[in-house]
Amino acid sequence: MTWADLHRASEAAAIEAEEAFRKGDASQAALLYAKAAELEQQALGTVDPTKIRTRGITAVSAVSLWYKAVAYERAEQLAYSMLADPAIPQFARVDLRNLVQAIWTESSKRAANVSFLPGQVFVSVKGGEVITGGAPLDLIVGKVQTIQAMFYRTVEFIKDMPLRLRGGPLREIQESCRPWLFQAAAGSYQFSVAIQEAKQLDFFKEDTRPDLVAHQFLEILKATASEDLVQLETVVPKAEYRNVFLRLSRNLAPTGKTFESIELRAATADTPVALTPEARKVINHTIKKNRPIHAEDSEAVEEEVIGTLRAVDLEKDFLNVIVDSQALHIVGLGDAMDDVIGPMVNKTVKVQVLRGARDSLRFRDIELDE
Amino acid sequence: MNDLPHLRIDGLHERHPGLTEALGESYAEAACVCWSRHHQPPIIVLLRHDGNDEFRLIDFAVPDARVRKAHANEIDATEMGAYGVSLAAVEDVAGLVAVGRAETLTGADWYVAPNGAELDDLERCIRLEVSGTSAGASAYINRLLREKLTQAARGESNLPAIAAVVGFKALEVAISPLGAQG
Repeated sequence: MTWADLHRASEAAAIEAEEAFRKGDASQAALLYAKAAELEQQALGTVDPTKIRTRGITAVSAVSLWYKAVAYERAEQLAYSMLADPAIPQFARVDLRNLVQAIWTESSKRAANVSFLPGQVFVSVKGGEVITGGAPLDLIVGKVQTIQAMFYRTVEFIKDMPLRLRGGPLREIQESCRPWLFQAAAGSYQFSVAIQEAKQLDFFKEDTRPDLVAHQFLEILKATASEDLVQLETVVPKAEYRNVFLRLSRNLAPTGKTFESIELRAATADTPVALTPEARKVINHTIKKNRPIHAEDSEAVEEEVIGTLRAVDLEKDFLNVIVDSQALHIVGLGDAMDDVIGPMVNKTVKVQVLRGARDSLRFRDIELDE
Repeated sequence: MNDLPHLRIDGLHERHPGLTEALGESYAEAACVCWSRHHQPPIIVLLRHDGNDEFRLIDFAVPDARVRKAHANEIDATEMGAYGVSLAAVEDVAGLVAVGRAETLTGADWYVAPNGAELDDLERCIRLEVSGTSAGASAYINRLLREKLTQAARGESNLPAIAAVVGFKALEVAISPLGAQG
């Protein structure tokens, strides 16, 4: 059989496998992917070595198919043998390295002896001070904290719980749906987040598919960055949840000073949800539009204060910001929440305030000023 | 309106030898689901390519409950629908059809070639990079296309490729070559 015959047969099996995977039949999908991988590896063996491009594409395809067949050892062996071949073109070399990284991540998950919900979210932070495989620690720690907060909020939203106004998630939530961080293939600075499966089988309502946590997380994120308010209201019908998701999403989005974009995508999707400085402006606009104006504030003038957030006390309803060595006491935090403001402590922030009688400052909004 | 040429998303497998009938139908169904979220048929879609703006008429079938349920996952539906529309669009404006696909870490890449070309290898095929947005406006479609062009300029892939970005609400398809063609 020629390369074309074998590759065509592999394509047909891979299309069937994809169909089975979409229908939720993971075991049938794995069998079909293995059949496709076997055929593609045979095709690889028949490629004329002078057809460098065809050989590179077929090598990546065969390793990807073994990976999707959950045959990690076969995938790894083939990837290494191809990487050891000096004739493999550069584009394929990059893809093969990414596949090796993905294989390691999946193998680690198996070794961890913990079950994860299907679907994980890949996060990549790009541009500015971020280099391939490296990024400023404070930047990444901040983003990871916000992603964790957003995952917990998504679980609470799916479980139809009342909005949590203070403190962290319930212990039950933290233990049942713990987000894990994994290394991901480096292209910029990348990592993936998977959700540990709840031990308690009825943790989610009967009509809720737990494998949709990652999907719902991405849908919410995408809707917050959209100019289409109807889309956001459809995805998150509860106004109080919309408010917190918008603020968490803004915490993730770049201003453009330190980095240029953060992209989040599902393992099975090519199209990421990309948060850019442009998206941040959209989110800010939506937040501003939805901000209530209290009667007592209607005459007050809105000002912007930039300084270091030193103290927050949500119970006593105040925060302190240091501006030019002077502490400003801002009150009336209203619906501000721990997971939104907490990661901003000791960082430079931009606070919108209303200056009232005797120079008192009332809180309107807060965001990081990278 | 009726004088406009039609963009056919049905029967894709009859014109694109790389597509199976089942996959072609799934792509077309997903596209109908995505359009029907925002529009009623018939619709006029703007194809933007090489500085040209061309309009095409699409009289899509309104999906029934079964089809909507099958494509309820919006991310998957947008991705599949975008593949179907992109293949129909590059066929229309550039005479390129899907001749093969190859798996990647996150999915699969389609390879296109001039209609009638024999597929003995992938040496002269062009990779089709597809993005889709359900509700994104024209500015967002431009941004997605710019990102693809920036990636290509940074040399993240040295394969000749065409990018197609499909906006279902915006009724637009933006197409642009990426890197050197050959």
